[in-house]
Amino acid sequence: MGLSKAAAIVGAAESNEIGYPEVPKTSLELHIEAIKNVSNQTGIPISAIDGIFSAGQSSEIAEHLGLHPKYIDTTSVGGCSFEIHVHHALLAIYAGVIDVALVTHGENGWSRRRIGAGGGGHYSGGGAGSPGTEMTMPYGFSGAPSNYSHAMVRHNHLYGTTPEDFAHVPVVTRDWATLNPRAVMSSKETHEFGGPITIDDVQNARMISWPLTMLHCCLVTDHGGAVLIAKPEIARSLKTNPVWIAGAGENMSHSNMLEMGDFTATSAFASSRTAYEMAGLGPEDMELALLYDSFSITPALTAEMVGLAPRGKGHLLWKEGHAAPGGRLPMNTNGGGLSFNHSGMYGMQLLVEAYRQLSGTAEDGVNGIKGKQTNARTCIVNGTGGSLSTTGTLVLVADD
Amino acid sequence: MSYNKPIPTPSPLTQPFYDGAREGKLLLPRCQDCNRVHWYPRHICPFCHSMNIDWIEGSGEGRVHTFAVQHRAFGGWAEEVPFVTAYIDLNEGDRMATVLRGVDANDPASIRIGAKVKVEFDQASEDIHIPFWRVVEE
Repeated sequence: MGLSKAAAIVGAAESNEIGYPEVPKTSLELHIEAIKNVSNQTGIPISAIDGIFSAGQSSEIAEHLGLHPKYIDTTSVGGCSFEIHVHHALLAIYAGVIDVALVTHGENGWSRRRIGAGGGGHYSGGGAGSPGTEMTMPYGFSGAPSNYSHAMVRHNHLYGTTPEDFAHVPVVTRDWATLNPRAVMSSKETHEFGGPITIDDVQNARMISWPLTMLHCCLVTDHGGAVLIAKPEIARSLKTNPVWIAGAGENMSHSNMLEMGDFTATSAFASSRTAYEMAGLGPEDMELALLYDSFSITPALTAEMVGLAPRGKGHLLWKEGHAAPGGRLPMNTNGGGLSFNHSGMYGMQLLVEAYRQLSGTAEDGVNGIKGKQTNARTCIVNGTGGSLSTTGTLVLVADD
Repeated sequence: MSYNKPIPTPSPLTQPFYDGAREGKLLLPRCQDCNRVHWYPRHICPFCHSMNIDWIEGSGEGRVHTFAVQHRAFGGWAEEVPFVTAYIDLNEGDRMATVLRGVDANDPASIRIGAKVKVEFDQASEDIHIPFWRVVEE
């Protein structure tokens, strides 16, 4: 047996509350709720987990659960960490080291404004002794939006695109959010600014880092999510449907954006080729694409990198409606980081949505929420972390 | 007026850069084995992995690679919005980050990728001078 499909995602769940909870949540609480929910969903007892994967918090979570895992991975390289965890879990299961892997996420991106972030679990590069940080910190960059904007300007310059071209990404993604009651921006009932938006809304929103207005930028919310990954013998014995990990790959081009050679290219080119090759599938075989949308530029660039569009033309998938509800290639069907939920690291939200769509559980929803949106049997998932720095790609396929 | 923006703390690795900056020189690390200039300063050449790195005086000239206009910032920079950040392709190779001068932040369409830039230094503290780049006429 080869590496492809050596393991399956057998369940995916979220914490009870996501988005903007009225009562502030800790990151740990978000983790634990999601883990309990995915255990209930799959029937796999928490005690059967023998590998733990999280972005920086694995020892604390394992201790909290009373586990003594045989495999501990706490890779924290930004929002793509969770796709990379799935890759690592596949390898560990294939090697016979573990049978059941837990990939878990809890991040109180919203609640931390009131109760603080708590320990661990956030991406941080550089710091004291990092010459890259030293040579960028004097210049007024203020987080991710202030850097990603430079990539859009470069794309505009090289390919003749415009910020308006990219405004179609948040508009279409919002249309998907209106179909997902759990999306923060689903409707006026979920948020005062929820419901459909127009290109003018996007372009006239408050400027954050030109050319990115606020509506080109993702949300900052709470989220907890967990998936369980198991070897085939276990995956076939459960009450939930397996979603097979046909291909997986990871790569990076830089850490500090100062080192991004081509501002219109990410390592998703490399990570997706690794994943496609393992799967024996190509971009033309993908029926659903879940591409990390931290900013409008991110999924458009990523679409070019993973072969869903030619260089310079990724935005056309949205502009021409292909990525929209009813289009030929549904994308970011949960409403994305732009309109569903984005807690700081969005890779887990991608995994939960991929599982929902490919397992058939979207019929019944996750955590009781309805929301079937596609009949896709194959899906590419691409996480992007840092400043367009690190990527993890998965090619997932539904069970036969 | 005292400098109210973030001031870097040199390490032994980067100290020569600030020693040069104090004299108005843009010093750049160059690998003695492959001859290539890199930025930021490293313990090892990112191109050939030699550890024989010295400092050369750069031309202080380059071109705008890409830019953005910051409308939201923190600390001392919050008082400056909108301002233009940019990445500069150095004539010697590799790239530096900066706040770009000599441009109109309220008219981003007038800012040109590929524009020629020259370095200048601001004294941030007694010992630290910080390079900024200014668009100049061709």
